[in-house]
Amino acid sequence: MKLAQKYNRVNLFTSLIILVLSGAVYYFAIHYILTNKLDNDLKIEEQEILASVHEYHKLPLPSDFKDQKVSYHELKKGDTADRSFSNTWYNNPEEKETEPGRSLNTSVKLGEKEYAVTITKSSLEAEDLVRLIFLITLGIIVLLLISLIAVNRFVLNSLWRPFYEILKQLKAFNLADKNEFSVQHTQVDEFQELNQSVISMSNRVRQDYKELKTFTDNASHEMMTPLAVINSKLDTLIQTEALTDKQGELIEDVYLAVNKLSRLNQSLLLLAKIENNLIKDEEDIALDVLLAQKLRQFHELFVANEIEVEKQLEPQQLHMSKYLADILLNNLINNAIRHNRQKGMIKIELHAGELTVSNTGLPKALDSYHVFERFYKENSSEGTGLGLAITQQICNLYHYKLSYSYQEPHHIFTLKFYQDH
Amino acid sequence: MKILLVEDEAALRDSIIAYFTEEGNICETAENYAAALTKINIYNYDCIVLDLTLPDGDGMEILRKLKQLHKTDGVLIISARHSLDDKLSGLNLGADDYLVKPFHLSELKARVSAIVRRKSFDGNNLIVFQEINIDTLAMRTTVGQNNINLTKKEYDLLVYFIANQRKVITKSALAEHLWGDEIDLSDHFDFIYTHIKNLRKKLLEAGCNDYIKSMYGVGYKFSS
Repeated sequence: MKLAQKYNRVNLFTSLIILVLSGAVYYFAIHYILTNKLDNDLKIEEQEILASVHEYHKLPLPSDFKDQKVSYHELKKGDTADRSFSNTWYNNPEEKETEPGRSLNTSVKLGEKEYAVTITKSSLEAEDLVRLIFLITLGIIVLLLISLIAVNRFVLNSLWRPFYEILKQLKAFNLADKNEFSVQHTQVDEFQELNQSVISMSNRVRQDYKELKTFTDNASHEMMTPLAVINSKLDTLIQTEALTDKQGELIEDVYLAVNKLSRLNQSLLLLAKIENNLIKDEEDIALDVLLAQKLRQFHELFVANEIEVEKQLEPQQLHMSKYLADILLNNLINNAIRHNRQKGMIKIELHAGELTVSNTGLPKALDSYHVFERFYKENSSEGTGLGLAITQQICNLYHYKLSYSYQEPHHIFTLKFYQDH
Repeated sequence: MKILLVEDEAALRDSIIAYFTEEGNICETAENYAAALTKINIYNYDCIVLDLTLPDGDGMEILRKLKQLHKTDGVLIISARHSLDDKLSGLNLGADDYLVKPFHLSELKARVSAIVRRKSFDGNNLIVFQEINIDTLAMRTTVGQNNINLTKKEYDLLVYFIANQRKVITKSALAEHLWGDEIDLSDHFDFIYTHIKNLRKKLLEAGCNDYIKSMYGVGYKFSS
């Protein structure tokens, strides 16, 4: 639900309740005032009657004035008439209608006799007035609600425009882009503040990103240089004439370790680069062609390991970095070879936006939950433990889905290129 | 050949110099940007081995300077930056090759030799080692009068051996040279043995002496 919508809802709801309540209060207040006025009129009438009785010692004639009726009747002995106001009906003789009325019951003493006096006045006018006021109030409520809705819809929308503008830019924000935020000038303090915050945040993020990139480069340099020194010293060492076989073997082991260390370092840096989206050179790639080329490259390795390769390649276009596409395929194929058995087989299928690489190997399923984790290795593995983590990271980058399954005797890695669906 | 090595890491500099300095090679060094700039202004080199990250400047600037001076020196960039951008901009600025640290000295030597060979003005596309002649343009190998048919890998291997003659070359250096770092051969170093065996056999059949010596545990040495 949008903020304006939610605010509108609350706003309209409370306005409605308050207006209805105030309408009711209004109604009762006016009703009370008008009734009071009627009662006062009735009291004045009563005093006139009492005064006339006092002066003339007889009852005035029961009379019908406009909207007013006075009637008497003799009270029997022992009967009492309490003085009271009541709501009654008034028969309008002119219009021959029964109208709402207000009457005052009182009594008057004339000699030994007591008479009950009922003065009734029509309250139609008062009721009309109340009704009119009520209608006006209702009209105001409706008008107010309509104007509230209109104001909310049009004014709020234009008030919020700078917000949606900056939101749109935030959504499109890309670290690698050099584009600055272009903010609309706004009079609203909050939005001004928001714009400034977004700009300063993006600058800070860009700065951090730059520092991270520099750090990545520096880390690579700082670690690779000592490795290069070790490697070059070993290369120099083996030129020594009097190297014994035993020493040769030792050096061989050091070479392997250095080689592994530099691969590990490169893999970690690559992971960081992919995660930070530092590899940008996307292009259109015919995956089937690239895959066929890879299989030719790996051919010797297949032959040496007596691995039978079965392939079914259908054309598949991808838009990604060629560099990462190479790494992706290398890792999958290297993996299928490394974890294969002698005289095993590898099956590579590419069709319908899906690449599957299956290989024979240990007759036991891998832990499909941990297999893509960094440094996850089966005990027998000689690799760095980063190959599949890198593969996974590349897939995440391009929103491909990589999964593992085991169907005796094949370990199957499936890559779904969702972007083509 | 005359080489300028621009590298700030003393230990690495020493190893490279030691590896390169031999018959007829002149190897000069510059340990920083300023020294490198002075040297390229005064002298011409067959090949400049250039580290990009120098304490007092960017190696890329040296490339720009070379271009300004209209120098035709070959340039091989050695960098710890395994970055595609750097590689491309380096090559665009006129570098001939790009080698990522850490590398084997034998690989460096082979690449420098290739650059020098390509750059030489007298159209020198011949590699000669004793009775072996290699025409690098036609990729044809002859031993004395006999043509020998080498596969791509065997040919690369032979060129590599000759560039690093009299040096011990490790199996991993050979493997990396032949297959690149894409294929993970760490479990399969002995795999190159087949190729060496075939190369040796072909050379011997053509009447060539046996120059390839196996150094136990370490690798191979090509020498007369």
